[in-house]
Amino acid sequence: MLRFLKRLFLMLLVIWLAASLNFLLPRLTDRNPIEEVIAASMGESGGTMEGIEEIVASYEARFGLDQPLWKQYLFSLWDSLRFDLGISISFFPERVSTLVLQALPWSIALIGTATAFAFAIGTALGALTVWPGAPRFLNVVVPVIMVLAAIPFYLIGLMLIFLFASQLNWLPTGGGYAPGTIPDNSFEFLAEVFVHSILPILSILLASIGIWALSMRGMMVTVQGEDYMTFAKARGLSGWRRFWRYAVRNAITPQVTTLVLALGNIVTGAVLVERIFGYPGIGNLLFQAILVIDYYLIYGCVYVLVLTIGLSLMILDLIYPLIDPRIRAAG
Amino acid sequence: MNKPENVSHPTPDTGTKPATATRDALVSDWGTSSRRLRTVLLYLKRNPNLTVGLVLLAALAAVSLGGQLVLEPKFADPLANRPKLPPSWEHPLGTDSQGRSMLGVLIYGTFLTAKVGVIAGLIGVAIGAVLGFMAGFFRGWVDVVISTITDVLLTIPPLLVLVVVAANLATKLDTNQMALIIALLAWREPTRQIRSQVLIMREAGYLKTARLGGTSMMGIVFKELMPNLIPYLMASFVLAMATAMLASVGLEALGLGPQNEPTLGMSVYWAMFYGALLLGMWWWVLTPVLALVVLFVGLYLVSAGLDELANPRLRRRRQ
Amino acid sequence: MNAPASSAGLHVADLKVEYYTDDGIVKAVDGIDFAIRPGVRMGFVGESGSGKTTTALALMGMIESPGKVTSGVARLDGLDLLSLSDAAFEQHRLATVSYIPQGAMNSLNPVARIEAQILEGFRDHGAPLARADAQRRVASLLEQVGLPPAVGRMFPHELSGGMKQRACIAIAIALRPKLLIADEPTSALDVITQRRVMETLGRVQDDIGSALILIGHDMGLMAQFVDEMVVMRDGKVVEHGDVRTIFANPSHPYTRTLIESVPSLERRSKPSRATTNGGQAATNGMPLLSFDGVSKAYGQVEALRPLSFTLAGDMPCVVAIVGQSGSGKTTLGSLVLGFETATNGRVTYSGDDVNRMGRAAVNRFRREVQAVFQDPYASYNPFYKIDHVLTVPLKNFGMASSREEALDHMIRACESVGLDPAQTIHRYAHQMSGGQRQRLMVGRAIMVKPRLLVADEPVSMVDASLRSTILGNLETMKTELGISVLYITHDLATAYEIADYILVLHKGSVVEAGVPETVIDDPQHPYTRLLVDSIPWPDPNRHWGAGGSLDEETQSVAEADVTQPLVRNEIEGFRLA
Repeated sequence: MLRFLKRLFLMLLVIWLAASLNFLLPRLTDRNPIEEVIAASMGESGGTMEGIEEIVASYEARFGLDQPLWKQYLFSLWDSLRFDLGISISFFPERVSTLVLQALPWSIALIGTATAFAFAIGTALGALTVWPGAPRFLNVVVPVIMVLAAIPFYLIGLMLIFLFASQLNWLPTGGGYAPGTIPDNSFEFLAEVFVHSILPILSILLASIGIWALSMRGMMVTVQGEDYMTFAKARGLSGWRRFWRYAVRNAITPQVTTLVLALGNIVTGAVLVERIFGYPGIGNLLFQAILVIDYYLIYGCVYVLVLTIGLSLMILDLIYPLIDPRIRAAG
Repeated sequence: MNKPENVSHPTPDTGTKPATATRDALVSDWGTSSRRLRTVLLYLKRNPNLTVGLVLLAALAAVSLGGQLVLEPKFADPLANRPKLPPSWEHPLGTDSQGRSMLGVLIYGTFLTAKVGVIAGLIGVAIGAVLGFMAGFFRGWVDVVISTITDVLLTIPPLLVLVVVAANLATKLDTNQMALIIALLAWREPTRQIRSQVLIMREAGYLKTARLGGTSMMGIVFKELMPNLIPYLMASFVLAMATAMLASVGLEALGLGPQNEPTLGMSVYWAMFYGALLLGMWWWVLTPVLALVVLFVGLYLVSAGLDELANPRLRRRRQ
Repeated sequence: MNAPASSAGLHVADLKVEYYTDDGIVKAVDGIDFAIRPGVRMGFVGESGSGKTTTALALMGMIESPGKVTSGVARLDGLDLLSLSDAAFEQHRLATVSYIPQGAMNSLNPVARIEAQILEGFRDHGAPLARADAQRRVASLLEQVGLPPAVGRMFPHELSGGMKQRACIAIAIALRPKLLIADEPTSALDVITQRRVMETLGRVQDDIGSALILIGHDMGLMAQFVDEMVVMRDGKVVEHGDVRTIFANPSHPYTRTLIESVPSLERRSKPSRATTNGGQAATNGMPLLSFDGVSKAYGQVEALRPLSFTLAGDMPCVVAIVGQSGSGKTTLGSLVLGFETATNGRVTYSGDDVNRMGRAAVNRFRREVQAVFQDPYASYNPFYKIDHVLTVPLKNFGMASSREEALDHMIRACESVGLDPAQTIHRYAHQMSGGQRQRLMVGRAIMVKPRLLVADEPVSMVDASLRSTILGNLETMKTELGISVLYITHDLATAYEIADYILVLHKGSVVEAGVPETVIDDPQHPYTRLLVDSIPWPDPNRHWGAGGSLDEETQSVAEADVTQPLVRNEIEGFRLA
């Protein structure tokens, strides 16, 4: 519970930092964000005049630029807290929160699926490499997988696009579904979504399986040397029990810590994968926002990603005591 | 843990000589530089990660630095060559749709990307070493303040913060400013690594021995602790450099990099921006991607190798 | 149990275990024979590498590549152990031959409850228990080793070291094996817990009537616990027989060395108080060291309760501070060395407060007060060659004006503790054994020629054979160099051997003080009595528990007064206030 509260406190702190940064930076750089985004939106997306007037009005009111600075600051903090992230310029008149919430499920599905598979496969591979009875082909597969872990997700994605989409034409180059398809709940649509997600998921998998395999192997090696493994063998416990209940069970606990530490990087890595594949998630939204310097949308995307990571970490903190009795005792 | 550990000295069979002879024997040092070189080579043979990593990085450095002697920087600029040429004798890696020679991009882009990483990594490790050392050595409230800040910042994915920062700053960044932005967060991991190492080392028995020997506080820090910290600093630096490059290439791939310099990340961005693969211009994509792959794999292997060197526990695992 | 009487128990003949290494074949066990009848306790003694643990591994079918049992027969109640297949041996481990591990702190699965770890033994040996039955069996096994039934629901980290070791015993005897092998089961425990665990082990063995092998290097423990003994060296049995006979009349010189390396009451030569050089008193007439109401607390924990004493220094003496871990003895040492600041009171060295000295006084203090610590591995900076520990004080204290003079100092330092300078000075610490390193630390202290030496457990991490050498060095420092020594230890027996005066520390307070003859031969405080009674003396006739049962003694310690030390006599040069 203490860990959980600490994590909650840390998350609020991070939100506060992000919001403050968001408030402070435009003022520090001596730029007028409104003018600039208007100019950008005029130049890049060709917004109409009446639209711009409305935006100016809405932002003037929102910022209350005549108000004293501390009031503006408090307002912006309050807005962040109640998830009022303003209005997008590039997708005017959509609210940032609407856009972000539309994109979020795509990202969660993609990153969640990929991370779950990567964690399971990587952990299993890492555990097996250490066990004497492991199949031989692992000796070749595992080093390759571990080297792949050094390469950013999106570079692997680019290579996959080159190979499977551009050269072999087996799979689509990008998108969440084929252009022109109208999303519905039909089987055809789901199949299309699945086909489109194969390459993005594969690039995350290839790049992150190694992370889990490496840390799991390290823990397994450490656990193999523990006294309780010797005692288990000396008691004639079955090989099955020693592998699962002793070695894997003890080695897997720190894997969760690794997950906690790596989650942020996985999410940002996946954001870039979305951009490479034009996948309709937060990452691609963020990229589009950057293209036209849609400042409020950029902040909105980052804010939601940080929030998602923070929430996942809190869930992990709640799960952690269930798998490690020592933490349970410490409260 | 340290290089000297791997230097083995022969033990001459002195028997029972008189004290002066013993003294004379002790005055001359046995280690010679050629023997040290051999020991280093022998060590590299035992540490394939480090060796392969160093070879990859050296090859990339040779291409980049050697190429700069042959090819002028302007080849990497837009409009310098005919655009959209596939690889040929004249342009071994082709040109992009802006007329950049991809060989030029490989040569100068690799250098620029590495430069961002080295600058940001150096700043990161320098700040991290000072903060980590203070936190670990003095403990108390100094440690509480430094550790809390570091831990909070560590939960933030760096790229996201950098996106906010970079998007706010002028769009006309150069690579040096880019490095400084990356350095904003590059000190977090080094701080934590150095801190935990110093926390372990400050309890080491040899510090007590040194104090008993009348060594001053400064002497303990610089003569007893620092030499043992060097391998960790090196490992930290490689890691910080790799992380910094990862962040800078990521920012650039999102379009938040130096628009007018041909870094590897910006090349990836332009290739994506103009749909190089849809145009069938595979050389435009693969050149920067493969250069980055070699760079990251090389750094990863060196870092893993240094870890093995610095961490006796890992070393024992191999035996 | 239909086998003829002659084949009951364990019979081993011509057992050989060889390891195939890069450097050739190592004969770890080289043709040994012995037999143990049911109910008999057999001790296996020898230093590391003598083959005693390898013998045990062979009897459990756990010799792993590159090792191999190359010849021999081992029959346990007629069962030919060495011809069993790996799978068959797995079934016999725990059920027939059971093992009690050395590192109890770490031998239990940290993520499983104790009851689960007991029951999985039944399950994996084809005897799963019904739920109600299981609960009853767990409770009765725990009761057998003196643990309450609630322990079954606990995880290992919730148990103390002694409780963990007893839980290991409960796990190991669950299937009533015919042979129990205990591999240094108490090496990480203090003497009182050691006595409790060994008493438990003995009782349990009597209950199930199995044969028992105790592997160890502590002759005292052997004398206390086993009936017969095998002394091993380099894979061979050098002596084998009844424990009383061996202690009374060891036939092999190696056995004699082993026995003599353990301090014993009978052989004690009273430390001489005569010195050849006079005492190293403070130059200004003040006492060398004095504690004035010194206490130390870490947060709410009182590590050391108010303590006052003066050590004059003009009449050098060895003052032993004896206590178990957590008694405050190491805190006391750190306070003397100025590594810790007292919470209350003043530590003064020749009149100056140790924590408030000027630069000149600090330099003198550092030079005149030296220390030898417990861990010879940690005491050397791995970055430097071993001479670093010698050159640093020579330079800082201005002891040598030239390189030659410095080298002469260093050579003498090595020679003073019997090390060959040529084999020492240009090496790195990791190239030397723990014993060599610790000797050099003593040599370093001799070289600096302090007035006061703090020796904090200097021999607890070195081999038994080196122990008396190092203790001898300490005594020489007193008698020939006039250095006063604070000897901090958990080991009453070594304190008895070299101390002129003993302070017994318990929970941060001195509970008893006096000369060794008083404190150890006639302990008055219940805690001292418990400690003395728990020392495994290397004498089969002087038994544990002469002063009563462990439970009674522990009870009286809990009721005893710890506020006022029992002081029965004083010596010249040291005064407890």
